[in-house]
Amino acid sequence: MKRRTLMSLMAGLSMSALLTAPALAADITVGMSWANYQEERWKIDESGLRAGLEEMGATLVTADAQSSNERQASDIDGLLARGVDALLIVAWDSEAVIPSVERALAEGIPVIAYERQIEYPGVFYVAFDPVEVGRIQARELVKVQPKGDYVIIKGSPTDQYAHYVLTGQKEIIDPLIDNGDIKIVGEQWTDGWVPDNAQKNMENILTAVNDKVDAVLASNDGTAGGVVAALSSVGLEGIPVSGQDGDIAALNRIALGSQTVTAWKDARELGRLGAKVAAALASGTAPEEIEGAVVWDKGPKGTAQNAAVLAPVTITRDNLDVVLDADWISKEDLCAGVTDNAPDACK
Amino acid sequence: METQTGKPLVEMRGVFKAFGGVHAVEDVDVTLHAGEVVAVLGHNGAGKSTLMKMLAGAYRRDAGSVHIDGKAAELASPAEAFELGIETIHQTLALADNLDATANLFLGREIAWRVGPFRIMDSARMRDVAAKVISQLNPRFTNLNTPCRDLSGGQRQTIAIARAIHFEAHVLIMDEPTAALGPHETAMVADLIRELKSKGIGIFLISHDIHDVFDLADRVVVMKNGQVVGTANTSDVSQDDVLGMIILGKCPEGAIPGPGARSNPQ
Amino acid sequence: MTTESLDPPAMNVAPRDSGFNVRTLSLVGLLFVIAVTFHLLSGGLFLTARNLYNIVVQTSVVAILACGMTIVIVTRNIDLSVGSVLGCVGMVIALLQIQIFPQEAAWNWPLTVVIGLALGALIGAWHGFWIAYLGVPSFVVTLGGLLIFRGAAFEVAQGKTLAPFDPIYRLFGGGIDGALGVGPSWMLFVVIMVLYGLGEILVHRRQTRLGFHSKARAKVLRFALVLVAAAAFVATMNSYLKPRSDIGRGVPIPALVLLSVVLFMEFVTRFTTFGRYIFAIGGNIDAARLNGIPTRRTVLVAFITMGVLCAIAAVVTTARLNAGTSSTGELLELSAIAAAVIGGASLSGGRGTIAGAVVGALIIQSLESGMVLIGASSSQRMVAIGLVLMAAVFADKYLSGEE
Repeated sequence: MKRRTLMSLMAGLSMSALLTAPALAADITVGMSWANYQEERWKIDESGLRAGLEEMGATLVTADAQSSNERQASDIDGLLARGVDALLIVAWDSEAVIPSVERALAEGIPVIAYERQIEYPGVFYVAFDPVEVGRIQARELVKVQPKGDYVIIKGSPTDQYAHYVLTGQKEIIDPLIDNGDIKIVGEQWTDGWVPDNAQKNMENILTAVNDKVDAVLASNDGTAGGVVAALSSVGLEGIPVSGQDGDIAALNRIALGSQTVTAWKDARELGRLGAKVAAALASGTAPEEIEGAVVWDKGPKGTAQNAAVLAPVTITRDNLDVVLDADWISKEDLCAGVTDNAPDACK
Repeated sequence: METQTGKPLVEMRGVFKAFGGVHAVEDVDVTLHAGEVVAVLGHNGAGKSTLMKMLAGAYRRDAGSVHIDGKAAELASPAEAFELGIETIHQTLALADNLDATANLFLGREIAWRVGPFRIMDSARMRDVAAKVISQLNPRFTNLNTPCRDLSGGQRQTIAIARAIHFEAHVLIMDEPTAALGPHETAMVADLIRELKSKGIGIFLISHDIHDVFDLADRVVVMKNGQVVGTANTSDVSQDDVLGMIILGKCPEGAIPGPGARSNPQ
Repeated sequence: MTTESLDPPAMNVAPRDSGFNVRTLSLVGLLFVIAVTFHLLSGGLFLTARNLYNIVVQTSVVAILACGMTIVIVTRNIDLSVGSVLGCVGMVIALLQIQIFPQEAAWNWPLTVVIGLALGALIGAWHGFWIAYLGVPSFVVTLGGLLIFRGAAFEVAQGKTLAPFDPIYRLFGGGIDGALGVGPSWMLFVVIMVLYGLGEILVHRRQTRLGFHSKARAKVLRFALVLVAAAAFVATMNSYLKPRSDIGRGVPIPALVLLSVVLFMEFVTRFTTFGRYIFAIGGNIDAARLNGIPTRRTVLVAFITMGVLCAIAAVVTTARLNAGTSSTGELLELSAIAAAVIGGASLSGGRGTIAGAVVGALIIQSLESGMVLIGASSSQRMVAIGLVLMAAVFADKYLSGEE
């Protein structure tokens, strides 16, 4: 086992000097350990991942931990036993998975944390840039509402991801707060990202400021739904609201004009990026030489890791055709209830 | 041997009950006539309470037959026993401590109007009836709105007795009726038993202490290890004889031996 | 007093008529203290028509659940699944109304509500069957239900958010048009007060006829208090205007739903044998059984009631958010239990009131809203509500003289 790994590593090293990446991926097997494949989005990721690998002639083997730390550990052992050349992991618990990661690294198998960060030296991190999500949200709101009273409806306080999004939001609006253009009149975390909680918080903030709100930075489409429901009950529907995920309901709100922007993460693109990185690492490319590699040290522990992050796509009423063309949503769902002042995509 | 003749009020034949592998009651025959007081005696665990709970409908028997007034009775539930006029004063008194005297008196048998799926209680009527029944038994018992947990032992006993009186028992089972009472209240219960007996009500007295019941009973049935040791008229045996039955399972002269009697007494 | 009377005066006090429920009244007092405190801290924002309207709407869902939770707790059980059941039923309603049934059909939303209520009853029966007939502890059964129905809520639409609902259905959520309006609100007030007055007179007459000393003065006082409180409530709801207009909103429809639930549950717990039996079972289940009470069926019906109330709460929640999401109702079971317990329900069974549960829910929501008004964070809110929960139960124990 050890010898074979060493040999494949040496083979990869020698060949990488001679050949271009796609051609040498032919013998490569990439393993993927899903945290919980039952969730709908991972099927979309897998389609991109598989397509990307097949184009390079590489093979994909997967295992599903079904929301269990123990199963994920045995899944990873199993994938290593099958002799994978690179290992992608969607961690169920990013701390509990570390012993398995250590085993893989000890065998010389490159490990790629996919979408969920595993903060451990030597692990490559592939994800949509969560900070960029926050930047997109703030950037688009500022475009339509450069000045005024802003409310921030943050995500779940216990989710690191929500903190990343907030970091991005602040990057954009902090200078505008400092020069007095924007004032934050209310901000609340949303326990569990639950839309009902966002709705209640928004209603109470509206009471506190007597409806004087010009824009709402909502951290995802679910909380945006709660915000819009709260706004509509006081007749404020239509002021700028942000979101992320490209939920069907949110895209419909953008078409209707009650939401401004959603940061859309096309999971197929992330799958392709994962395929590219896995193949490159498996064939011996140094992590820092991978195309688009950056150093990521924004995690809670501040560990510096090599990473390839994908910028989410900004979706507003002006480019709704993007999600239509990608078959992400049907025109019927997108344009439901749209009558007057329809965006181009609904005409 | 039995002094009573005619059709018995209660006739239990070959009654059997097991809990898991333990035979709590095994092949028991017992009868009770109108106006008769029968003491069911035995140690704790002898099977007497289990036997009576089958008659009260609280346990279902595994085998055997029960006839009430000559008619076969299933006795699948307490409600069925109530319908047949079988009332029980349980050792625990079966009171809900969070409810008041009226609610407990009518518990499970409220006066109510049926409206669709609901049975709407006639609280005023029940309160009225409860006041009358309870004042007959104990004129000083006036706090009918107090939850039972705040009542004295005698008052609690009064509520349980009032149930039996109000619902016109033909057969009354009293499980350790005087265990928790003082001498004065014990005497009152004895008077009550005589009065009910004179009205033709058949009474089972369950006790582990022969002294409590010997003078009140017409007949004793002694149980040991789930079986009947023997049956005797209290006029035919002494208290010591009965003690011997309870402790040794030895059936004296003047008693009818049951299946639980020791076959070769030393 | 020379002879001992067979009918002493104390005996003639009519049943269930000791004037006011001290426990509930002291909770109302606590509510006032909270309201006034937040009013001062927030610079006069709390006791405004708009905030009170919001709190009423925001409370309705937890209060509906707390009514059911109270009867479950009274039977000495618990239901940890209510948030998940709410989420699951809400998703089924959303799926049917938005994706399965034709959107323009007039029968669409009423049918989905009926199916939702039936599903709630079925889920309640499923829990009740395991608890009452298979003897599995309710904590375990409904902990299972918490997981099962949260998972099911996800499976219904693979975690997608479904929107929008039918405009009429959305009125149940009390959005911009989801209130009765000024005129109908006053009409409702008059009808309810007349019915209440007539009911009191009927009871009074019957009690007098049976020879009870019915406390007429206390009853008139109670009626007057309810009248003033209800009038103040309606006037407040009417004075919250629709945006950019001078049209008063009136009583919000979620409050109307809650009112119906409360009246029904008060009726059931106080006047029917079922109500008597749940208290008897919670007080002493052996005694209940020995007295011929169908204990299993009663517990089953209690859980079915809880299931139906979850479905009603699901309608209000989804209509309010105008979307079905798989996370709807998360952690709501804790608020519902806390409301019931603050309202005087005892986890050891046999004690609790519907009115208390509603006041408990109002207290929780007032704390939530008030702390947002003064800019407190969600973590600070959790600390505050936790402390109030413990203090309320302690005060209750202390006042009622136990231990």
